[in-house]
Amino acid sequence: MEIIEKIKTNKLLEYQTEIQKICLHKLQSNPLPNPKSELWRLSNKTKFSNFLDYSFNEKDLKFDSPYPNNSQSTIRLIIGENCQIEFVEENYSIEQLSEDEVDKYIKEQISSFDQNENWSDLLNLSLSCKKNILGLKVNGSKIPPIEIFSHASSNSLNAKTLVIFLEKNCDVELIQVNLGKENSSLSQSTFFFLEENSSLNHGVVSYGENGSNLLNSLNVIQQKNSEYNLGSLHFKFNYARFEINIKQSQGNAKTNIKGMQITKKDEQISTYTKIDFNGPNGFLDQINKSLADDKSHAIFEGSIIVPKIAQKTDASQLSRNLLLSDLAQIDTKPQLEIIADDVKCKHGATISQLNEEELFYMRTRGVTLAEASKLQLSSYFQEIISFIPVSKDKWDLLDKLLNEN
Amino acid sequence: MVNENLVKDVVKEPYKYGFVTDIETEKIAKGLNEDIIRLISKKKEEPKYLLDFRLKAFKKWQKMKEPDWAGLGYKQIDYQDIIYYSAPKQKEKISSLDEVDPKLLETFDKLGIPLTEQKKLTNVAVDAVFDSVSIATTFREELAEHGVIFCSISEAVKNHSDLIEKYLGTVVPASDNYFAALNSAVFSDGSFVYIPKGVTCPMDLSSYFRINSGDSGQFERTLIIAEESSSVSYLEGCTAPMFDTNTLHAAVVELIALDDASIKYSTVQNWYAGDEEGIGGIFNFVTKRGKCLGKRSKISWSQVETGSAITWKYPSCLLLGEESVGEFYSVALTNNLQQADTGTKMIHIGPKTKSTIVSKGISAGNSINSYRGLVKMGTKAKGSRNYSQCDSMLIGDEASANTFPYIKSQQPNSEIEHEASTCRISEDQLFYLQSRGIEFEEAVSMMVSGFCRDVFNQLPMEFAAEADKLLALKLEGSVG
Repeated sequence: MEIIEKIKTNKLLEYQTEIQKICLHKLQSNPLPNPKSELWRLSNKTKFSNFLDYSFNEKDLKFDSPYPNNSQSTIRLIIGENCQIEFVEENYSIEQLSEDEVDKYIKEQISSFDQNENWSDLLNLSLSCKKNILGLKVNGSKIPPIEIFSHASSNSLNAKTLVIFLEKNCDVELIQVNLGKENSSLSQSTFFFLEENSSLNHGVVSYGENGSNLLNSLNVIQQKNSEYNLGSLHFKFNYARFEINIKQSQGNAKTNIKGMQITKKDEQISTYTKIDFNGPNGFLDQINKSLADDKSHAIFEGSIIVPKIAQKTDASQLSRNLLLSDLAQIDTKPQLEIIADDVKCKHGATISQLNEEELFYMRTRGVTLAEASKLQLSSYFQEIISFIPVSKDKWDLLDKLLNEN
Repeated sequence: MVNENLVKDVVKEPYKYGFVTDIETEKIAKGLNEDIIRLISKKKEEPKYLLDFRLKAFKKWQKMKEPDWAGLGYKQIDYQDIIYYSAPKQKEKISSLDEVDPKLLETFDKLGIPLTEQKKLTNVAVDAVFDSVSIATTFREELAEHGVIFCSISEAVKNHSDLIEKYLGTVVPASDNYFAALNSAVFSDGSFVYIPKGVTCPMDLSSYFRINSGDSGQFERTLIIAEESSSVSYLEGCTAPMFDTNTLHAAVVELIALDDASIKYSTVQNWYAGDEEGIGGIFNFVTKRGKCLGKRSKISWSQVETGSAITWKYPSCLLLGEESVGEFYSVALTNNLQQADTGTKMIHIGPKTKSTIVSKGISAGNSINSYRGLVKMGTKAKGSRNYSQCDSMLIGDEASANTFPYIKSQQPNSEIEHEASTCRISEDQLFYLQSRGIEFEEAVSMMVSGFCRDVFNQLPMEFAAEADKLLALKLEGSVG
């Protein structure tokens, strides 16, 4: 964990931007998250230190994506490679945020950061150099789907940051693809700000290779009447954490989340979500699915916070888990913290294996056990995959999951 | 909203067990050190192994830190400012109840606990604990006829030392947690129950805990052993006077069920909760755990928690035996500035084990009511099942209801289901009941009672009535 030593002694970067200085300063006294805290206690220590073992690299190699080629109908952006971005059309505009705008917004965010809770973001912002921060301002409607890529090169740790402002009445479809190369670590932090009446259909597909690690953090602020839909999928990582922080800053907003993580071999993938309702009439519908096979470990922790101001909140959270092997394990902890009284909040959690009766039924109809299991899994996956925008047409995720697994 | 205020008024109810019994007591000096522990042990004429157990626990406790993970906000407890032993002065040996100080009998009478056997209104044997010692145990002879041992733990140490030595600390080890270690070091009294093989206990057994002095803590310890194919239903009740200081109550309860045995443990906890400003009240830090050692054994916890300023309590089951069953039914009502962090742990270790959790939390005033539970399927818990349900009801917009279920599975061939919901007393329902001529107060009470019914149905008859009355009392009151 050479990187931590360098942070401690402030020898990580020769040239530091103001944001890097602030974040490094916050980390210096306490460079690692508290392993006993709720958010980190299940995190595999060896795997976490694997993440930090690669040497930090500001530059990365040319991007070589397994994702289908770009087409005319989508806008493809690669963090760290695109220099000048400006799409101005009749209906819409996508412009790069100025450095000042990015700095101002990130500084605001940092001011409320907690060393432990936002450790992933603090690390990311300490490492992300200007080139690896992509800031966009999106306006208008009928915008072609946007694809944004982040990747880490082999044998290095890369940090990428994405900041997007959605202006009023804007409607966007965006897929974010995080790719981990063999033996690599990627720190990805994303910040979205949704102004009034805007809507974002967001897909996150994180796909690793042997020995790749990921710290993926997503921070969303929703103003009133905005709608945020997230479909996410994480698989094939030695170690991955997906942290979702959503704040409905004035209430009256809608959030739908459908996430899935698939672990095999001895992988560990975890999802932590925190949904903060800071105003009345908020809506949340969340489902998180995990599948753990072999010796792997899948974790979900979700918290819903409804303060007094958030009357008439309607929130539901469901954690569904499939445990397919004797040596795999699943931890799940959906939690509710409620002070407002006029609310509808519920959560549920299940852990089981494939339904034996359904398997039996299919087998009596002449379907083989392998086929029947596949059918069941495909229906389990389909609910989430169909919620991920853009990618479902271009990249046959279902096929990828069923055949690779 | 008018209705909301009415509901708030309705849940205010003065504490009616808050009187102090004026009785001469024997207390030892404040503070906690090895000498105090030796003194308690000497006073109780304990054998050496027990003193060693206490001293070992004390050493461990000194190295431990008070847990803060529950995020309960309470002022620092000064463990040196507590009296660890306080007993009403009485004649050396009591041969019959007639010799018990009439003031004590009066106290328990006032609390509705009949100690004199003439008052056999209910078929319940009672062990009454006053501050640090057990005062009396009723129906002993009748129980002895069936081979059932029901006495205070101090007597058990003298008369059934082998059983104590064999089982004490096997379910909740001294180093289990901070408060269990403290209890292991200084426990003064409590109840001991032994049900021999094949015996169904002929009556319900009951312990009644009363804290009387304001500066002494209560540290009782209960041990129940159910041998093969035996069964017992045990009830526990507690009250305390109103003091403006906080009193510490750190108890440990250990249950052991062997093959085909069943233990039902019910609690109605009504310690003094402090006043509206949160001054005074009991700090209730309790470790309760049952071990289903035998095949097809069953342990069932049911609890109604209405008192205490702070409650920190997780009655748990270790399901070791094949096909053993654990149950947890709980109602927790908090008001004013009360904080309750309660729930259960169901640890499935053996195959085909089953557990059910039903938890109902009602929070009013500025209180915080949290459910915190763990369900764990170990690697050998093949074919095991768990079902959990936790519902919260919020009264007023200052109260808070939290749910923290920890679920962990290492066994694919097992099933865990958990669901939780939050609701309020709906105005539509109130309006409906009121339009049918039902008084507002009664309507609220009916709805709360309906909300808790799944749990009340699990309580023994006498207790169900008491619990219903208790909630009704808390809900009765100031509406004109």
